[in-house]
Amino acid sequence: MCSGSLKALMAACAMGALLGACQREERDQRPSPVASETREQVALTTNSAGPSPPEIRVSGKGAKYEASAYDQSQGKKYYAWFNCNGCHSNGGGGSGPPLMDDRWIYGGSIENIVQTIREGRPNGMPSFRGKIPDEQIWQIAAYVRSMSGNTSSDSAPQRNDSMHPHPSESRTPPSPPVNGGTVAPSPSR
Amino acid sequence: MVALSLPSVLTGCERWPDALDPKAPEAHDIAWLIWTFTGLLGAIWLAVVIAMLIAIRGGRRVAPPAAGATPLDALALHPAGERSRTVIVGVLGGLTALTVLVLTGLSYATQRSLFAPRQEGLSILVTGKQWWWELQYEDADPSRIVETANEIHVPVNVPVTLKLEASDVIHSLWVPRLMGKEDLIPGRQNVKRVFVTQPGVYRGQCAEFCGQQHAHMGLLIVAEPMADFERWRDRQRAEAASPSSDEQQAGHDAFLKRSCVMCHQIRGTDAGGRSGPDLTHVGSRMTLAAGTLPLTRGSLAAWIVDPHGVKPGVDMPLTKLEPDELNAIAAYLESLK
Amino acid sequence: MRLARLSALLISVALAGPVFAQSPTVTPPLSAAPKDDGQWTMPAKNFANTRYSELNEINLSNVANLRPEFTFSLGVNRGQESPAVMAGNTLYMVSPYPNTLYALDLTKPGAPMKWRYDPKPEQASQGVACCDVVNRGPTVADGKVFMSTLDGSIIAVDAEKGTMIWRTKIADINMGETVTMAPFVAKGKVFVGNSGGEYGVRGWIQALDANTGKPVWKAFSTGPDKEVLIGPDFKPFYDADKGKDLGISTWPPDAWKHGGGTVWGWVAYDPDLNLLYNGVGNPGPWNSAQRPGDNKWTNSVFARDIDTGQARWAYQATPHDLFDWDGINESILLDITWKGQPRKVLVRPERNGHLYVIDRATGEVLSAEAYAYTNTTTGVDLKTGRLQRVGDKEPSVGKVLRDVCPTAPGAKDWNPSSFSSSTGLLYIPHNNLCMDWESQETNYIAGTPFVGAEVRMKPGPGGHMGEVTAWNILEGKPAWVIKERFPVWSGALSTAGDLVFYGDMEGWFKAVNAKTGEVVWQFKTGSGIIGQPTTYRGPDGRQYVAILSGVGGWSGAIVSGDLDPRDGTAALGFVNAMRDLKNATTAGGMLYVFRLP
Repeated sequence: MCSGSLKALMAACAMGALLGACQREERDQRPSPVASETREQVALTTNSAGPSPPEIRVSGKGAKYEASAYDQSQGKKYYAWFNCNGCHSNGGGGSGPPLMDDRWIYGGSIENIVQTIREGRPNGMPSFRGKIPDEQIWQIAAYVRSMSGNTSSDSAPQRNDSMHPHPSESRTPPSPPVNGGTVAPSPSR
Repeated sequence: MVALSLPSVLTGCERWPDALDPKAPEAHDIAWLIWTFTGLLGAIWLAVVIAMLIAIRGGRRVAPPAAGATPLDALALHPAGERSRTVIVGVLGGLTALTVLVLTGLSYATQRSLFAPRQEGLSILVTGKQWWWELQYEDADPSRIVETANEIHVPVNVPVTLKLEASDVIHSLWVPRLMGKEDLIPGRQNVKRVFVTQPGVYRGQCAEFCGQQHAHMGLLIVAEPMADFERWRDRQRAEAASPSSDEQQAGHDAFLKRSCVMCHQIRGTDAGGRSGPDLTHVGSRMTLAAGTLPLTRGSLAAWIVDPHGVKPGVDMPLTKLEPDELNAIAAYLESLK
Repeated sequence: MRLARLSALLISVALAGPVFAQSPTVTPPLSAAPKDDGQWTMPAKNFANTRYSELNEINLSNVANLRPEFTFSLGVNRGQESPAVMAGNTLYMVSPYPNTLYALDLTKPGAPMKWRYDPKPEQASQGVACCDVVNRGPTVADGKVFMSTLDGSIIAVDAEKGTMIWRTKIADINMGETVTMAPFVAKGKVFVGNSGGEYGVRGWIQALDANTGKPVWKAFSTGPDKEVLIGPDFKPFYDADKGKDLGISTWPPDAWKHGGGTVWGWVAYDPDLNLLYNGVGNPGPWNSAQRPGDNKWTNSVFARDIDTGQARWAYQATPHDLFDWDGINESILLDITWKGQPRKVLVRPERNGHLYVIDRATGEVLSAEAYAYTNTTTGVDLKTGRLQRVGDKEPSVGKVLRDVCPTAPGAKDWNPSSFSSSTGLLYIPHNNLCMDWESQETNYIAGTPFVGAEVRMKPGPGGHMGEVTAWNILEGKPAWVIKERFPVWSGALSTAGDLVFYGDMEGWFKAVNAKTGEVVWQFKTGSGIIGQPTTYRGPDGRQYVAILSGVGGWSGAIVSGDLDPRDGTAALGFVNAMRDLKNATTAGGMLYVFRLP
């Protein structure tokens, strides 16, 4: 009798764990129609006048995108739709710099990347303000972070359906961002 | 009462998908098949039920056991009865096999005619996407190709070949009044023939679960006389109408300035996106968002301002527009007849 | 055909005689390639594009002693595709973006800088340059240096003082347009076209007045006949090129507006026929499923009246392009004897792997032999002029098509070949590459790339990626072939000293025996070479050879753009083949000038 109820308990626990695994993440599919553009305050350098480092104020919402498989896979889709791949390829770069390495001319945090997409950068990166809605910029930025392995491997996109330019984002070893892009070109990494 | 009145209400509406009200030879074939199956099998079922009822009511008139007989004698074989039973079972078995064979044969013959490879008349490339239908009217002369979405115009009494493809997951096209289901599969092309005999608007639907908004992946087939169809096609081939009012002009400008331009095409402007439906003549269509909303200026605005309220999970993003921009874009799109 | 073979045979017998004596049957027209004055005023040397110098102080017997005389840093470590152009006593060259024009004084020891001109192009223009921020050089004429900037300005600079005379903006970077080609100057006009075939632009070539910079005529490559400058004088040779408004009717509705057809390569001019020849680039997007039809006039060659721009004939070498086979390669003007008849021809090594010999008066294709490995086409039907495709080598959306040769940069890209009047051979620097290709649906968004294909290149048969082929035009076959580890992305130069100069992407600048292909001299420069070698007679009467060293361009973007080699599709698929380049060379930007001691 006693062992029977124990078995039932264990079964219930296992069932609970299985069902819990089903609900991996909550998809926020309906962003508020009245929300406004996010305003993160980021710096492009670690240097600041005075003894303290640059003041940075971020909302912290980037963490939500970096943990979400849905947002990153949406970001991957938009990355191709909006022709990001035309310049940055699948992260290796082309006329634009690589995105899968560790060097970030304009900062490698998700907030920096959101700024770069929205405002553009002077050496050729166009500004997408007004062209890509805020939510989608964050999703693309999260996907860009996954290219260098800087989102968790269980949320980063899996391998492509067709041509495999490189191992999938979920299998890319993390390379924490090094700010600044003026490092001397290195031989094959 | 409600259940009874519903069909009559619905039959009044031609768009209601109804496989038993065929308007094309293919659908006729299928409907005929359905009726044949239903009739024949219904008759057999009826016969069996009646036989069973007779058997139950009649009971079993078995002679009382003779005196001195052991219980086993009841099970003893009676050669004459046995023979007649064997014949009956044999005949019934033969009839069953014949029924199955005939029905299979009929089904096979119908299928053969439905799926026979034929390349004639009008050819339309239909690409299933989550969750809408991209349409391309093919033509040997590339400058006569027409691209549109979610509303297939066809001429009546002309064979139409639908080339079915998909770009993301498997979809299935089903227009019950006109044709059976046919899958749209990424990486291959299926071919389906439609021949509509009666002008009208027929509703179709994705019939293969393809994600969250599967239920909202509808389409219309608009069958019209050849002359009307040609007029429609010529109009579709033309560039988008230029804005004819200040408001439309403002909408045109806002469209090119905002996110719309990233995914949608309006030929005649610099908007050349293909991720979303072609909007060159969106105002000429009857519905919006793949048969989800009737196309009106109001529903256009509602769709733009909150697509996820209408179709949660759809790729169309929430575009933050100033109210006057939204108004103007809706006015502009509505004007694109 | 048989007769052609026979005459070719006879000629080859004649050629095989006492060393390759100058073949009387293949010569550039004198009006387009006048007698050498020892200068090198335009990138292609002359209107006939021969890149051949009659100087022979440096020759087979003494080339081994060649040594650097002076060097000069251009200050930009990107792909150096400019030639060093020499006029008067001055050497001119243009750096990659920011397109600084340098003038070096050759009368003084070490050739010090005479002046520099900074055109200050828009910084953002770098974002719409598909394949490195290159510039293909200046042209000197009538005391002016003509140059283009990446952001689409054409500038005339006083050749002596280095001051600007005029500046005309002709391209819009917000629509994806840039200018990378060297201005071509003839008959008082400057001819220049746009780049941006990977950005959904609509291609054109323009003529500007050389004195004022005012536009004279502009011919689009797609669209209505009126804008393509096709009028009553237009008499194409083949039926496929005849008809009204083919620039519209061979496209899906409105696709021609973003259909590419840029003019970013080489232009030729025949003063006798008064015709200008220009090739037209690839259709956009690369995904061919988005543009059914022949897509005229992309991948074509035009003969135009140089004064009015009105087309005389056109020939589309690659209709309905599947693999980015631009038709912008050089047209070399030659007069040949073909089947016993004297013919005025132009010779084009096309990206599709065939060497076209075309009658430059009528547009008739006389022959089109494969000069590189190809498994996608089987030749050209000379009756219809149509390229014959191999059926199963056609891409479709969402499927990976494997082992396509040649690749997107073609059997040969922009890097120009050279025709030697002394050997009668054409020296073609080219690629030996294959690729995997997957078409994808793509959005046209103004000012962003419009490509729609994932590409992964790899070495072709034999495992090497570059070749220099010495081609016998009449026989239609190679005399010799040099194999190179990397694609040969530099131009070629041939001289009367029976030498051919070119550079490889590891940085070796080489002189080879023009008759045998044997390397007779080489010098290791600081960076990979993708430039255009030139030679000139200096103020001291000595012969000099000049080359810019500095790897980059499409093939070298992995180094100049410091791309990540883990992604094979980077730089439109070139990185997959070029991973080792990072271990072979680094970026640079240096002029090297050589002389005999």
